Amino acid sequence: MMQPQQPYTGQIYQPTQTYTPTTSQPFYGNNFEDEPPLLEELGINFDHIWQKTLTVLHPLKVADGSIMNETDLAGPMVFCLAFGATLLLAGKIQFGYVYGISAIGCLGMFCLLNLMSMTGVSFGCVASVLGYCLLPMILLSSFAVIFSLQGMIGVLLTAGIIGWCSFSASKIFISALAMEGQQLLVAYPCALLYGVFALISVF
Amino acid sequence: MHPAGLAAAGTPRLPSKRRVPMSQPGMADPHQLFDDTSSAHSRGYGAQRAPGNLGYPATSASPQAAFLTNPVSDMAVAYGSSLAAQGKELVDKNIDRFIPVSKLKYYFAVDTVYVGKKLGLLIFPYLHQDWEVQYQQDTPVAPRFDVNAPDLYIPAMAFITYVLVAGLALGTQDRFSPDLLGLQASSALAWLTVEVLAILLSLYLVTVNTDLTTIDLVAFLGYKYVGMIGGVLMGLLFGKIGYYLVLGWCCMSIFVFMIRTLRLKILSEAAAEGVPVRGARNQLRMYLTMAVAAAQPLLMYWLTFHLVR
Repeated sequence: MMQPQQPYTGQIYQPTQTYTPTTSQPFYGNNFEDEPPLLEELGINFDHIWQKTLTVLHPLKVADGSIMNETDLAGPMVFCLAFGATLLLAGKIQFGYVYGISAIGCLGMFCLLNLMSMTGVSFGCVASVLGYCLLPMILLSSFAVIFSLQGMIGVLLTAGIIGWCSFSASKIFISALAMEGQQLLVAYPCALLYGVFALISVF
Repeated sequence: MHPAGLAAAGTPRLPSKRRVPMSQPGMADPHQLFDDTSSAHSRGYGAQRAPGNLGYPATSASPQAAFLTNPVSDMAVAYGSSLAAQGKELVDKNIDRFIPVSKLKYYFAVDTVYVGKKLGLLIFPYLHQDWEVQYQQDTPVAPRFDVNAPDLYIPAMAFITYVLVAGLALGTQDRFSPDLLGLQASSALAWLTVEVLAILLSLYLVTVNTDLTTIDLVAFLGYKYVGMIGGVLMGLLFGKIGYYLVLGWCCMSIFVFMIRTLRLKILSEAAAEGVPVRGARNQLRMYLTMAVAAAQPLLMYWLTFHLVR
């Protein structure tokens, strides 16, 4: 029932078409060739994954707050598996630890960010950001395949990469959640989480 | 675009125009087993499916589609989605009964400047003059704005760092295994719980009327982990001498910090200002404050000495 103050802005004599069928309509239940491609059905969009990866890899570039509006876990899954694979190349079969630590870490960050920010955050968003920022850690573990990280150079490299990961993650979090003056406070727990991953790579 | 069957991963997206149109509004997309209600902006069940209603019946020309257009499976999908949504509602409603989320948010309203100043205060409390928490119309001011207010960020982070540093220390002595981390964490947590309960019990027995809430108490008792971390790290770098020096200094500082903070909370107003007030009651409160403050260095030593060899 419309209120008298609200004018009707549509056309009275022609029905407005709210849905325009396109010719390439993917029509589920029709022929096999007309089904949408598998990646599109699964929601894996390689272009978006690449965009977000570039954001992580340029730690000094200012992050756009809206990139995390669509949470996708396909990219982080790929990165976790790649991390496990590089550990495998170094002779450490530790997929279980990677899974366990990332689950506990994501849960902890989810609780902390919900308590610290004005707006809440969903678990998928937290998992997605933390997964994307795992990318530099893959570099570290691939170094560990070639030469041991237990010397002075290894320590410096590890510290640098942990800093890079946590800086990117905190940058994305504070731009997505509009938290001011708290970047270091968000970066510290991220650094602890990535520190545990680094521990697995090094020892 | 909807993920097929992977909706448990939770991908809230706006539906594009190329989505399969539904013959009935309010039904979940057959690609998706559960409606995604994980984000705060989740849509209602059929709210955005209206554009897809113009006359495209989902006729099943191929056999593999027959299963999913079966009305019984549609109903099953809808039932499952509604069950999941109900479960989430239940959790949301009841979580506030056990964990007071809005009260906890006060303790996490911190910023970097506050944390820096508070850490400085924990290590060097001797020059700080004014220990009163400022009030703003009966409610204490958020930790962001007053360095004397207790917060839970530092104790929580310090606790986690302590567990990880303990793991590191054990690792350098070749005594590390991942279940030891869990053991350290649970033993430290157990000691914290025992402490909180003991102090609450003694406050009850002494019948003191304070505005010291349980969460405040947890916050104050969590500050000692900062000193413990410092001691263990110095012990790792410089051996036993470094450990004893730094631990000794941190023990003194936390003792003074606790006395000065708790004095304002537990003692009566007159005594807190330094005027000596006679009376058994105040004596008892004084002893209680001293006992709480003295327990801190003891626990700091007890929880770290086995990590430094």
